[in-house]
Amino acid sequence: MHIPTRWIKILKDIWSNRSRSLLVIFSIAIGVASVGMITNAGILVQRDLYGSFAEGNPASLEIYVSPFQRDLTSAVDAMREVEDVQARRVERASVLNAEGDWDDLTLNAFPDLTDLKVNRVDLVEGRMSLGVREIAIERQSAEGLGLAVGDTITVKMEGDRAYDLDIVGIVHDLYGMPYALLGEVTGYVNLESLKWMGKPSYYNKLDVVVAENKYKQAHVLEIGNSIRDRVIEPSGYRVGSMGIPGLGSDPGKHWAEDQIDGFLLILQIMGVMAVLLSGGLVVNTVSAILVQQIRQIGIMRSIGAVRGQLIAMYFFNVLAYSVLGLAVALPLGLLGSWWLAEFAAGFVNFDLTTVNISWQVLTLQITLGLLMPLGVAIYPILSGTRMSVYDAIYQYGIGSEGSGWLDRALMKVRNLAPPIVLSLRNTFRNKARLVFTLLTLTLAGAMFIAVFSTRASLTVQIENVARYVTFDAALGLPYGSRKQTVEREALRIHEISAAEGWAQSIGVIVREDGSESGELEIVGLPYDSVTIDPLMIKGRWLEASDTSRIVVNDDLLDEESGIGIGSEITLKIGNRERTYQVVGVTSKHLSGSRIYMEYGSFGQLTNRPNQVDTIRVRGNLETIGSNAEQDVIAFQLENRFDNASLSKSSSITRHAIFGDFTDVFDLILVVLMIMAGLLALVGGLGLTGTLGINVLERTREIGVLRAVGASNVSVRQVIVFEGVVVGLISWVLGALLSGPSGRALAGAVVNAVMQADLIYTYSFTGLLLWLVVIGLIAVFSSLAPARSAVRLTVREVLDYE
Amino acid sequence: MKTFWNKSGSNGSGAVKYKANGHLIAFNQVSKIYETSAGSFTALRDVDLRIDKGEFVSIVGKSGSGKTTLINMLTGIDRPSDGEIYVTGAAVHELDEGEIAVWRGKNVGVVFQFFQLLPTLSVLENVRLPMDFGGVFDRQERDDRAMHLLELVGIEDQADALPAKLSGGQQQRAAIARALANDPPIIATDEPTGNLDSHSSTKIIRLFEDLVSRGKTILMVTHDDELAGRAMRTIRLADGKVVL
Amino acid sequence: MEIAKIAGKNGRENGVLINVKDLVKIYPTAANGVEALKGINLEVHEGEFLAIFGKSGAGKSTLINMITGIDSPDSGEVQIGGASIHSMSDDELTRWRGRNLGVVYQFFQLLPTLTLVENITLAMDFCDTYPLAKRSERALQLLDQVGIREHAHKVPSKISGGQQQRVAIARALANDPDVIVADEPTGNLDSQTADDIYDLFSDLISLGKTLVIVTHDQEIAERASRILEISDGRIISSRSNDAPSNDRSAHEATLSLNCVSPRIQAAL
Repeated sequence: MHIPTRWIKILKDIWSNRSRSLLVIFSIAIGVASVGMITNAGILVQRDLYGSFAEGNPASLEIYVSPFQRDLTSAVDAMREVEDVQARRVERASVLNAEGDWDDLTLNAFPDLTDLKVNRVDLVEGRMSLGVREIAIERQSAEGLGLAVGDTITVKMEGDRAYDLDIVGIVHDLYGMPYALLGEVTGYVNLESLKWMGKPSYYNKLDVVVAENKYKQAHVLEIGNSIRDRVIEPSGYRVGSMGIPGLGSDPGKHWAEDQIDGFLLILQIMGVMAVLLSGGLVVNTVSAILVQQIRQIGIMRSIGAVRGQLIAMYFFNVLAYSVLGLAVALPLGLLGSWWLAEFAAGFVNFDLTTVNISWQVLTLQITLGLLMPLGVAIYPILSGTRMSVYDAIYQYGIGSEGSGWLDRALMKVRNLAPPIVLSLRNTFRNKARLVFTLLTLTLAGAMFIAVFSTRASLTVQIENVARYVTFDAALGLPYGSRKQTVEREALRIHEISAAEGWAQSIGVIVREDGSESGELEIVGLPYDSVTIDPLMIKGRWLEASDTSRIVVNDDLLDEESGIGIGSEITLKIGNRERTYQVVGVTSKHLSGSRIYMEYGSFGQLTNRPNQVDTIRVRGNLETIGSNAEQDVIAFQLENRFDNASLSKSSSITRHAIFGDFTDVFDLILVVLMIMAGLLALVGGLGLTGTLGINVLERTREIGVLRAVGASNVSVRQVIVFEGVVVGLISWVLGALLSGPSGRALAGAVVNAVMQADLIYTYSFTGLLLWLVVIGLIAVFSSLAPARSAVRLTVREVLDYE
Repeated sequence: MKTFWNKSGSNGSGAVKYKANGHLIAFNQVSKIYETSAGSFTALRDVDLRIDKGEFVSIVGKSGSGKTTLINMLTGIDRPSDGEIYVTGAAVHELDEGEIAVWRGKNVGVVFQFFQLLPTLSVLENVRLPMDFGGVFDRQERDDRAMHLLELVGIEDQADALPAKLSGGQQQRAAIARALANDPPIIATDEPTGNLDSHSSTKIIRLFEDLVSRGKTILMVTHDDELAGRAMRTIRLADGKVVL
Repeated sequence: MEIAKIAGKNGRENGVLINVKDLVKIYPTAANGVEALKGINLEVHEGEFLAIFGKSGAGKSTLINMITGIDSPDSGEVQIGGASIHSMSDDELTRWRGRNLGVVYQFFQLLPTLTLVENITLAMDFCDTYPLAKRSERALQLLDQVGIREHAHKVPSKISGGQQQRVAIARALANDPDVIVADEPTGNLDSQTADDIYDLFSDLISLGKTLVIVTHDQEIAERASRILEISDGRIISSRSNDAPSNDRSAHEATLSLNCVSPRIQAAL
């Protein structure tokens, strides 16, 4: 086979400089693969999660109703606005785990699990047609507890009676909160089993799919209101609460869709950065090749190569890198997307059907992988092939002095030792290359600091939320209890020095025009509560005399317009209405719209004086206890209430609330840190490349340094100092950029994970840490070029006169 | 000016002095063989050489005769395959590349055909550079000394200019001033006038003669017999052997 | 290529192949321009072996760079085969040079990653002078001609300097140019190797090539048929050398034994 020699030359060049070729190939591959991985994972999740979510007929509305029977279901189903409705009974219970502790269990009771109309579950193993004393377990819960078909579990209901049930099926429920996230077990029984366990066989929840506009929140809520007003309440039932399923997502959408999309978007941005950086590396390497081959280019021109042929040769070189890079990137991207989608699947409990790469992603990767390197190589190739034969052969090897304003300014730098002056002026000699290197390092630095700022912001954000839960442990009282009783009972525990009963209810605001707001939470608490430390953004907190004054949170201000300090608002719980004056606004704290009022006035509004729904306790009034202390207090509280035969749900500790949160954040931060680390790595490689080319370009000068008496150390110093100068400049630029980039990243993460407004905190720790990291990068990046500079002997350098 | 010149950088052990037999430069049976995969090429063959302080020696010969290799052996720029080289009391053939650079910085000033001034440093900084590496002179003295050297070669008015602003002859003067920076006893130069017109060449040779009269030892490679004739002594090489 | 050559041949007057007229070159320095060439006039005839001799800095390298078109003059003209090379665009000149002029450098300047054969086919590749399938064959014949065919598939670093220079000469012959220009071609070789290279040059003359070399070595210059001495940018003497000191009897004419003229090959 005859291949024109000039292509052979390029192929041999690629082969003879394998480590450099691999570096470029991998840097192209990393950029392209990460974009492919993220885009394809997005498509996979879209298809398999959102797709199978839609297949199970997701509820657009869930309504908790006082116990009801089948007739209500039929009545709701008969409404024209309702497409489908499914009734169930939801019971809170506990299940004994292998360690002998009780885990929270949500029991869903249906007449027939195999015939659900809304939020359908799928069978994984065993059977779904349940008999009495039989239970089906959600697969993630089963996996988490190590349960299988054929096992028997002990379930404890309200009032402490325990029942043994046989597991006959493992099912997959895409509509509940997964065990992996909440640590709550989900189980399914039939109504007969529920009866056997001492519960009435009434339903208490309706899952509704509305007929039209099922994805429009306002419309869906409106229909919810009309279901309540036209069917439920006229039938004599009471609505406990009503809302869109999920964590504030839109109706008909998977509860984590916004979070997943947000997270994918952040990764996408990172992917784009990776592509930019790999582009920088390609530029660097192509420049290095051209610099190294200047003399060869001169020779080729002298034996008849016109510039077009040379340009084509070096583009062919880049194309070869691209093709090889793509060959690595395509499978890597596919594997990565598989991993990422699998990770998401494990986290939110869905199944990946097939892992394939869509043609859009393929096209995107190929276009990116081919065009990006070729595009960025245009400048170095055109400028590298422009040199005349004369310059290439006779003038090359000793650099020329710069002549811009910067160089003139640097000429004014006097009174420094010439070796330092040399490094300093060398740094600015090739401006285009310097700009590229700085760009890479600055970007890496800005991202690095941004990740730290994100972490700092999240910490502050969580701390701000934590101010609203300054207790060691709390206990839910599902049916309400007398305030004095529970507080006295709690205070009998030696370790507890403060106990507060809080009352909660769902209510609405009645606007001046008579319309009602969406549901909001109303809390009655001691005005001098020690288990909350509210962050007031306007006005003041409650005082003893505030019998008809309330404090609202910032979420409410977002929901309801026209509310401010001094506003009079009318609250409605059930049929009772009262008007209050707003005296303060607290910060948002992941609670949704909430109103705080003095405990006494709350009792008047609800007509449940002396009743509380939660008991919140503190061991020490000065500080919050350690995790272990919190656990002890929680344990004692539960025991005490059990002994006193007070109805209660399981306790919660402060660290348990924030533990889950920080787990999710830590995960995201780890991913971001890995990305920032990669950026730093690529930046370091870029710096190595740049200094390497600088050494190559100035071999003769290094020979001269040798000739006039520079020791190994001195030669190294000149190169390393240059690297450090570049590193420091990039640090300053990165520091400037890190403010806005940190805000953007932290905002995106907080928005994706918490769906909350950002409280931005800049991380000076990150800034200083990056200074250390960039210093190390600069030194380490310059070591290899410095070593090759030291290895140059004067004779080699001055040989080609 | 007197004290200025007589700060010697050389100091060696008695044993080495003995081997050099009191000569400033001694080559004992020096050979240089370049190994290539195609075979070996002998650039120098058993060269014996003695040069004393204050000599002005020219080394002549055709291309490929080994004259550049010889001077590279002297400056430590290249190392012998066999034999011993003692210069200013140091056993040059035993030093590694880094040690040679330090030794050379203090003991041998090298002047190249193509001047080889660093383009980003001013003329004064170029002259100061070896002093910073060598550390022979105190930091405060260095600028003054560099200026004195520029006066000596007659281009003090160009001290703050960049090399590119100078003519070839002026650049070579700057290069000579740089070679004198650490006050080395020896100046080694390969075709110092190779890139200069005849008028500038004459001036450079006069400068060398002036330096010799001040006690420097100069070795100069040239292929120009006329220039070689101005030296006190001529060493002629042919195919790696001293023939004269 | 053919057109250029025919045009070239038609333009030749009285067998004058290279015609240099009033060539001036000034290298700018900030201090004052250095006049490297101060008005050079020169004619080189077809089949001539011209040596340009002078000391370092005399301007001889500058002159040869003007003839190869690697550097351009400040005034004056260089005509080779009737073509005024400095009026061509950069690419035209490159292509023209590739086909009509072979250049040999002091430091051989072979491409390090290519084998010897590939170094030669590369020149044909750029100029598209021989059919793709014939190039390797021709390159091997040229290597044969310069006597190192057995090393054909080695890379340059595996052979000696003298052998590398032979390859460089074979490369200069790749596109069968009329003129070979060499700048200190033996400057980096020992005297025995240098002798071999000059024998090779003499063979080229006998094949009808025109050869221009630059040297600072009087002895080497004496091997040419005409010697031009240059000093401080001017020609100071030009003399024919009736008895080139080339002892042909001392070595076997490699060419006559194992070489077919490239021209004949081209016709094959």
